Amino acid sequence: MTVGPVTRDAATAEFFDATAAGKFLLRRCAAGHFSEPPAAQCTTCASTELRWEAARGGATLVSWAVAWSRPAAGGEPQPTVLAIAELDEGPWWWSQLVDADPANLAAGRRLRIEFRRADKEHEAVPVFGLA
Amino acid sequence: MSGPRTWPAARRPVVVGLGMTDLGKVYGRTAADFAADAVRRAAGDAGLRLADVDGLLTSSGVTGGVSVDLQRDLGLTDLRLLSHMQSYGSTAAAMVQAASLAVMSGTASVVACVFADSPLQPERSAGAVYGTRRAPAGWWGLLGASGVIGANPMYALAARRHMEHYGTTTEQFGHIAVAQRGWAALNPAAQLREPITLADHHSSRWIADPFRLLDCCLVSNGGIAVIVTTAERAASLAQPPVRVLGWAQSHPGHYLRHHPDFGLVTGAATAGPAALEMAEVTLTDVDVVQLYDCYTFTVLVTLEDYGFCPKGEGGPFAASGVLGPGGKLMLNTGGGQLSGYYMWGMTPLSEAVIQCRGQGGERQAAAHDVVLVSGNGGVLDHHATLVLGSEAGAS
Repeated sequence: MTVGPVTRDAATAEFFDATAAGKFLLRRCAAGHFSEPPAAQCTTCASTELRWEAARGGATLVSWAVAWSRPAAGGEPQPTVLAIAELDEGPWWWSQLVDADPANLAAGRRLRIEFRRADKEHEAVPVFGLA
Repeated sequence: MSGPRTWPAARRPVVVGLGMTDLGKVYGRTAADFAADAVRRAAGDAGLRLADVDGLLTSSGVTGGVSVDLQRDLGLTDLRLLSHMQSYGSTAAAMVQAASLAVMSGTASVVACVFADSPLQPERSAGAVYGTRRAPAGWWGLLGASGVIGANPMYALAARRHMEHYGTTTEQFGHIAVAQRGWAALNPAAQLREPITLADHHSSRWIADPFRLLDCCLVSNGGIAVIVTTAERAASLAQPPVRVLGWAQSHPGHYLRHHPDFGLVTGAATAGPAALEMAEVTLTDVDVVQLYDCYTFTVLVTLEDYGFCPKGEGGPFAASGVLGPGGKLMLNTGGGQLSGYYMWGMTPLSEAVIQCRGQGGERQAAAHDVVLVSGNGGVLDHHATLVLGSEAGAS
C-alpha cells in the first residue's frame, strides 16, 4: 500500500510546500469558513477572498473502501484502503487510510493526517492514519 | 410547472424512433461511426427519412469522439437545433428533455438524440479503460496519487456510507445483480445472459470493497439514438408513440466536498417527485422502472429516493423478492448496465422505449402504460428523470 507519484504545478505549489513540511493547507475566508482545496471561492459564503491555513490534523472517518488493483509490474491484485475523512475544521478529504485493518473500521473513527511520498523525486501526499 | 400535459395535444413530445447499433465487444469502429449508425437506425425505425431530422443533440462517452460534426457525417442540412450535451450519465434523459422542449416550442420538429462510445479494445481490460486516467501533476494528480482513481472506489465510498448509516449489506446488493441477470437472460441484446446466483455474486472478485465484480456495470462499445417529435407528426409514423409526460433534473453539487447527503440521498429524491408531478401521475401509476445502474448500489439508493421504499430500507426491499422476472416490480427489465449493455443513460432509456411500446418479447411487462426512467452521472452528482407513457397511459 503506497501513494503514487505526483508533481506540482503553479496551482499546487504552495500546498505541496506545506505537505513537505508536514502541514495540510485548507482554504479559509475572512468570515472563518474553511473550504476544501482547490476551492477558488468559499464553499459556505462564496467569498473569493481566501487564504491558506494549516489544518490541525485531526479528522473523523466518514466512509472507506478497499480498492483492489494489480501492481504496474504485474502480479496479484493488492488492496488499498481508501477513505473519506471529515477534518476537524469541517472540510472532507479523499485519500488513503494507511496501516489500518478494514475489518476493524467504523464511521466516526478518529484519524490523523499523515504524509507519504512515492519517492524522493515526488511531492508528499496527505494520507490518513488511525489516531 | 408547464409540462406536456398543459400543452395543446398536437404539440406534445413523443419518442418515435429508437436506433441501437450492435453493442458490446464490437471492435474496429469509432464512436462517431456508431453515432451515425444509431441515428440512421432510429430514423428508419420511426419511418422517417434522415432528411426529416431538423434537430440533433449529441453526447460522448469516455472516449469522446461524438460531436456536432455528426451533422456532416450524416449529411444533415439546414438543422434548426444542434448541440453537444454533457452531464455524464444523466445526459440521455437531459437530451430528451431538451428535445421535448424544442418540439413543444417549434424550435425544431424532429430531434435526434444520440450517445455513442468505443472504449473497448481487443486485449485491453474493461477496467483499464475507466481506471487508469492518472494525471501526474496538480490537484488531479494528487487525487490519483492518493489512490482515488476512477469511478469504482468513489462509488464504493458512497455505498459504504449507506451501509454504515442504514445497515445495508453486500448480500442485498447481490439480490439486484441476480435479478438483473435474470432479466438479461430474456434479452437477446444483452451481453451477459447466463443466470447467476447469490453465491456467484458472493464469490466474484473484489473490485472495490464493498463492490465485487458482479456489482459493477459492463463496458460496451456501440451507440443508441432516439428521435423526438410532436404527437401530431407521430400519428403518421411507424411505431407506437411513446409520450414524454414529465421530466426533471437535480444536480446536488457535492463532488469532492463536504456534503451530508453523500451516499445517502441523491438528486433522485428531488427529480423523481418533480417529474411525476409534471406528468400528473404518482408512483402507484408507474408500471415499469428503468434505473441507471452503474453499480447495484445505484439502483438501491435510487429506489429509496424515488420512494419505492422508505429511506434506508432499500437493502431489505431489494432482498424481499420484488425484483427480477416474476417479481412485482418491473425494474431494469433488459438487464440494465450490469448485465445488458453499458450505454450510459441510453441503457435505461432504450429499454423504457421498448417496454412502453410493448416490444419487449419474452421480457415484456404486462402493464406498460407509465414508465419511469433515471439517469445518473458523476458520483451521484447529476440526476435526470423522465416519465414516459404509452398512448393509453397518456389519456
